[in-house]
Parts: sequence; structure tokens; C-alpha cells
Amino acid sequence: MSLEKITNPFDARHWIGHMEAEYRYTLGIAGERFFKEIKENERIMGVKCPKCEVVFVPPRLYCEKCFAKLEEWVDVGKRGEVYTYTIATIDIDGKRLEKPQIYALIKFDGACGGLIHRIGETEKVYIGMKVEAVFKPPSERKASINDIAYFKPAE
Amino acid sequence: MCEVAIVGVGCVGFRPITLELSYKELMFEAAVKAYEDAGGIDPRKDVDVFVTCAEDYLEGFSIFDEFVPDQLGAALRHLFTVSGDGMLGLATAYMLIKTGHFDTVVVEAHSKASDILTYMDIVNFGLDPIFNRPLGGHPYYIAGLEMNRYLHDTCTTEEQCAQVVVKNKKNAIANPYAAYGADVTLDQVLCSKTLFHPLKKLEISTPADGCIVMVLASEKVAEKLTDKPVWVKGVGWCTETPSLETRDWTRAIYTRLAAEMAYKTAGIANPWRDIDFAEIHDMFAYKELQHMEALKLCDYGEAGKLTEEGLTALEGEFPVNASGGLLGMGFGLEASGLQKVLEVVLQLRGEAGSRQIEDVEAGLAHTWRGIPTATGAVAVLSNVK
Ligand SMILES: [Zn+2]
Repeated sequence: MSLEKITNPFDARHWIGHMEAEYRYTLGIAGERFFKEIKENERIMGVKCPKCEVVFVPPRLYCEKCFAKLEEWVDVGKRGEVYTYTIATIDIDGKRLEKPQIYALIKFDGACGGLIHRIGETEKVYIGMKVEAVFKPPSERKASINDIAYFKPAE
Repeated sequence: MCEVAIVGVGCVGFRPITLELSYKELMFEAAVKAYEDAGGIDPRKDVDVFVTCAEDYLEGFSIFDEFVPDQLGAALRHLFTVSGDGMLGLATAYMLIKTGHFDTVVVEAHSKASDILTYMDIVNFGLDPIFNRPLGGHPYYIAGLEMNRYLHDTCTTEEQCAQVVVKNKKNAIANPYAAYGADVTLDQVLCSKTLFHPLKKLEISTPADGCIVMVLASEKVAEKLTDKPVWVKGVGWCTETPSLETRDWTRAIYTRLAAEMAYKTAGIANPWRDIDFAEIHDMFAYKELQHMEALKLCDYGEAGKLTEEGLTALEGEFPVNASGGLLGMGFGLEASGLQKVLEVVLQLRGEAGSRQIEDVEAGLAHTWRGIPTATGAVAVLSNVK
């Protein structure tokens, strides 16, 4: 132990470790179908529980409420409503963003859940605002959540 | 079945940074204090089981549990790790003793947050890799999303959230285990930078380093080791869906169900009346209010008003976070739950110094695993068996 006051953390004897950890996350059956529909058909799909009569977005193969197996796919439309939003002013490193980024949880009519995404083409946002998905051009789509560029205000 | 008591506690920290001690030395110091506090037990022969609580990513190790025995006196003894908050370790210790097979169990949890150079990347790695992570950004935007909807649905105000910060940071000044005690004004909180609207910079707890070790014992051993046992009257825990999209955004149901589980065992019908004070997870200021409601300390949407009226202040009718909370003590990562339990133990023993609450018999400790989780745990403790 040093008896002198250390003022710079890197003056304490240390070893820098770096965790190399890369993963490939497969989408699974529900994810494959969901992102294929987005990429190829610009459709946002949910899946309905026959027992609970709830449509889940994002889709999954099992019901979180009753544990039933889910197989009935439903198109929930491209338009939704801002359930909640926030405006981030810093990035993950704590640096100030030049342009604040609006994030929202968008819920779709008749569905449980929704999608968390960016809001674009506006600086004004409020809870209850109607929004619509803006898809990237087909050539730029990769079957990812970012195939939706953002949601924009819908008339 | 036998009753279970906390018979010893040891805490080192909490401090913004701990350069001179390695994580092992931090654990060793806390363990020495705890064993001393538990009537001077020898961990090499007087402890039946050791439970440590740690998450590999926060430690910078794969299989971190292999690195914990020596500094606790637990080498070649019966030890395992719970990959979660310290309060889940406490619940595990409680259950082990309740089986009747074990009399003395040690629980440990720590934070060496200052060793983590890319903490936010680890938090970010907790997000769903398919639906959420590709959107990028600082993961605390999820707290901004939640706070906004919570305020919208409950009519809680930004001032009421800011009041939590003023209260907790002030309480922390009197707590030697707190890293971030301060006299801040409501205006200072409200005028601090809005990082994730409506969440402001001073409403976000800052990580801190520290370690807490606790010794739990069965009734028959407890009364031999200490004349100030603190009885564990009930524990509970719960996890909601990981899906941010479908979970409840305003009611912290994971906490509600964890509390109901603990209250049932403890025989608590009316928590505000039957319990004297609470330590509640306040990683973000609004979470203290949301959790108060989930813990049934008040009606949905009422916590902000009670806070504004001073009922949860140190000198109020039902003090919340007399320790200074995580906003004042510092966010101890997986040790958060034990930070809460520690304060409840000190208060129930009458050892909380100038922040001591008068005439207390029962206290509530609550924890949450932070963004982006929906996992909570609750413990009800009492100095009366
Ligand atoms: Zn169902």
C-alpha cells in the first residue's frame, strides 16, 4: 500500500484487462418471421395468444401470461402511438450529442407491447402522439430493427 | 421452524474510488469486521456455508466465484455464488438456515465500480441484442422513458422527484458509509442537466466502491453470538418479463410481488403502520417514489406528495433512505441490496449515530437490479423476535 496520496487513478499500480467477447445471436423462429416481414413487406407483425386473446409485439413463440404456444400471426400496421418518450442529450460515453435523440416506446392498436425506436422528422413529441414507421430503402435493409429508420409523426 | 437473525455486519466504503485496496482486500476487511461483530467467530470453523453475490461482467472475470474463498476464510469450505443482488444472497442464507441443516451462513456482496472502465457498455450488454441494442445510445434512456410515463400516469411532479435527491443526499452527510452526501437545493437538482428528459443529472446515482459482509445465524446460535440480533421476518423476490415492450412501465410490479411474498411471511398487513422505516432502491430519484407505491407504503401516485410534505424525511413519520440511499451512499452495484439491509440493521440496533430514528422495531429493505432489469427483492427485519 502506498503511503503517499494518489491523485491520478492510473498512478496506482494496475493491469488493464480487456474482455474479448463477441457473440452471434440467432433470431429464432419468431424473430426470423418478424424481420423477414419488415425487410420484404414493410409489415410489423405480432403474434396472438389463443387463450389470452392478446397480440404480442415483438412476437415470440410462448405467452408470458399463460405459457401457451403462440402460432397466429397478425399484422398490427405501421402506425402506432407514443406510449412514452425521452430525449437523450448524451451518448453512451457521456459525450454531449450535437443533436438530441428522441427515443419512444410505440404501441400499436390492439397489441400488447410495441417497439422501442427513434423518433425522426420532428423535434416535437408528446405522449399519445400518432407516429408511423419509416423504412429504409429495400437495398439497405438487413433484417434488423434498424430496417425501420425511425418513426415519424403521422397525420 | 427456527427464526433467523443477522448477527454480524461489516462494511468497507462506500467511496467513489478505492485505489489502495484490491477487490480481495476490500472483501477481507469487510469480512474481518463482520466476524468480529458476530461475537468474534472464526470463519475457518464456525461458518457452515458462505454465499457470495457477484456478476462476472461487473468483476471483469469469467467464473468470478472461483476467486472469492480465501479472503472470506472460505477455502475448502462450503461456498457458492449467487449471480445477482446481495439481497438474493441474504434470502438464500435465510432459506439455508430455515432448512434446519445449517446454523451459520455468511453473505457477501461488493462493488469495485472504479475498476470498471467501460461500465455503461456492460449495462448496454444487458439489453435485448435483437430488438433494443442495435438502436444504440446511452442505455439510461430507458430510465428516461420510464420516468416520463410514470409522471404522466401518476401526476407526480418533477419537483417531487427532485425532492428525493435533496432528502437523500442530506441524510447521507450523517452516514460515514456514504460517498456522496451533500446539501443540495431543489433548484440545483432541477437545474442540473436534463440527460434523458425528464431525468436530470443529479437524479441519477453515481457508482461507488465498497463491500458488505453479513453473518446470519439460527435462533439457538444467534443468541450466543450477540445480544443485538436483528431478526429476518420475511424475504421475497420477483422478476417481471425482460421484454421492455410488454412490461408494466409505471407500477414496478416485480417489487409489489416481492413485497407481498415478504409481508406474508412477516405477517405485515399494513406496511406503513406495521413497519417504522424503509430503505428503498433509489438508483434514480423517481424509482424511490415508484417503489414506495409498489411496496404498498402508500397508494399509487401518492409517494411524491408524501415526500414533498416531508413524511419520508429523517424526522418524518416514515423515514425513507435514512442512510442517504444510493443517491447519497453511491450505487454499490450488486451490493445495493446489502447497503439497504445494513442501514436497517444499524437502525434496529440503535447504532445509526446522528441519523438514528427513535423507537424503531421493524424496518424494510428493498432492492432492484437496475436498468434494464425488472427484478426486485424485499426483506423485513425486526429487533423483536
Ligand atoms: Zn396467453
